[in-house]
Amino acid sequence: MEKRDKIIEIRWHGRGGQGAVTSAELLALAAIEEGKFAQAFPSFGPERRGAPVLVFNRVSDKTPIRARVSVINPDIVVILDPGLIYITDVTAGLKEGGVIVINTTKAVVDIKSEFNGSWKLAVVNATSIARDTIGVPIVNTTMLGALVKATDIIELESLAEPLKERFGARAKGNSDACHRAYKETEIAELSGVVKKPTKTFETETFPSWQELLPGSVIPEAGNAKQYRTGDWKSESPIWDHQKCIKCGICYLFCPEGCIGQNKDGYFEANPYYCKGCGICARECWTEAIKMVEEE
Amino acid sequence: MESLAIYVPRLVTIKEYFAPGHRACMGCGEALAVRLVCKALGRNIIIANATGCMEIVSSPLPSTSWEVPWIHTLFENTAAVASGIEAGIKILTRKGKYNNKTKVVAMAGDGGTADIGFQALSGALERGHDFIYICFDNEAYMNTGIQRSSSTPFGASTTTSPAGKVSIGQTTWKKDLPAIAVAHGIPYVATACHSYPFDLMNKINKAVEVNGPSYIHILSVCPTGWRLASDLTIRAGRLAVETGIFPIYEVEGDRYTLNLDFPKLRPIEDYFKLQGRFRHLSKETISQIQERVAAKYSKLKERAARNNYQQ
Repeated sequence: MEKRDKIIEIRWHGRGGQGAVTSAELLALAAIEEGKFAQAFPSFGPERRGAPVLVFNRVSDKTPIRARVSVINPDIVVILDPGLIYITDVTAGLKEGGVIVINTTKAVVDIKSEFNGSWKLAVVNATSIARDTIGVPIVNTTMLGALVKATDIIELESLAEPLKERFGARAKGNSDACHRAYKETEIAELSGVVKKPTKTFETETFPSWQELLPGSVIPEAGNAKQYRTGDWKSESPIWDHQKCIKCGICYLFCPEGCIGQNKDGYFEANPYYCKGCGICARECWTEAIKMVEEE
Repeated sequence: MESLAIYVPRLVTIKEYFAPGHRACMGCGEALAVRLVCKALGRNIIIANATGCMEIVSSPLPSTSWEVPWIHTLFENTAAVASGIEAGIKILTRKGKYNNKTKVVAMAGDGGTADIGFQALSGALERGHDFIYICFDNEAYMNTGIQRSSSTPFGASTTTSPAGKVSIGQTTWKKDLPAIAVAHGIPYVATACHSYPFDLMNKINKAVEVNGPSYIHILSVCPTGWRLASDLTIRAGRLAVETGIFPIYEVEGDRYTLNLDFPKLRPIEDYFKLQGRFRHLSKETISQIQERVAAKYSKLKERAARNNYQQ
């Protein structure tokens, strides 16, 4: 009897709108093209564009995959947005000898300190590659190239057909991005033992389902205020006090209602809630507001 | 926060009844519209909210963005639930157990109004309950992933009316809900858009004063479903009004008033070229839509002019 081979499990960390779901599907399709077994499925709450999203893949050479549950102990973690490492525990459950593939503008030496464990780290500046080749900072296909380089889970060529089918006329830019990422990905071995995470992540103090009142009544009005939506943003508004006439049009047009006045009468956005939509900068009469990229 | 006495903050209340921390997409026009509506409504209300984007993003159990009494209803029975609340208040007042003039407000999306909740709405308007029905129209079922509704405009590409080699997208015209509401002979009907916040809030204030049912239709730009950049929300709403695609007017009894009138409408291309959902339209289709928009607008203008003459 043939020896049972291993099922490789992948967890993608992305944000809504970055295309993590698409890339996981493309990976599964490419693996199936090679005659392997594969599955891909996402997991997210009611959150929308910009909110953190998890996507899972399972790939195996010969064993059919029976499991239909989310991946708890991944072999590979792919991180599409560099900001996510500060708000969620991306390496949770990552196996020893596992691989981390991350999109970041930083070099390997600078980002290394963020992770401790005996893992392999692959670093790629996917955002700039995607901007160059596709024209938009949507990094999903670029990260596929980096993933293939770091793990050889599939052949790079197997992605050609699924890419063409998915993107049609835009397949070339995406496949270029994929190939460039394959070339430019840097890989490093991390040393050290897996420690308990030292960072603590902010959590909300919402009641659990056992504590809820009958009829799902929520007695505390507006308790969504505890929920941080500020980490969805990639750009944040900055006010130029020289140009600001304190008219308050930014305050009126903010969909979050997160813009308020400080004691000098100037307006500012509460970074805890601001999602970085850019409406205030667009609607400002005097162009006093600029959207500045976050890091 | 004491120096909020300049320009805009002097004109609107700084109290927020729709708390931040809701999970709407960035640049959501509907969330902005809800925020403005709540500012205008104030504290003394009870809201019945249909399933849809605003229900999902504002109340993922166990959190809520609402700082006013709020109940989640199904798609189909928002107006019925609001009617029930209103009837309850009426009875309690008659028995002397409640003496607070609380306004009942029903909120729903275009799917919950034009398609699924339509008969409940029609029934409630016909029975003449003292409530406000507000429809936040983002022109498709955005919550479930951009499926067409009967409020989707002609030519728009959605996931269930996709544009392609043969199809031009949505092949039916947008259902004229305000006109249907007017046909019920109710005291107050209005259309509004979040890009004109003071007009919107004035209309809500007017509806609160009305004794009987009132219907307000608010165009809410959806950057995700309309396929436009999140910072263009306000501009897109403004263009919808300036091109005459979504005229802003109110009807009191049978008196029409065009709140924003333009000597000359902008060409509808200005509005269409912002949005990915109209990108595929050919010149012929656009001129076909332009004709229809112009015809509808001039009809409306005529009605408004007739009222002025009678005055």
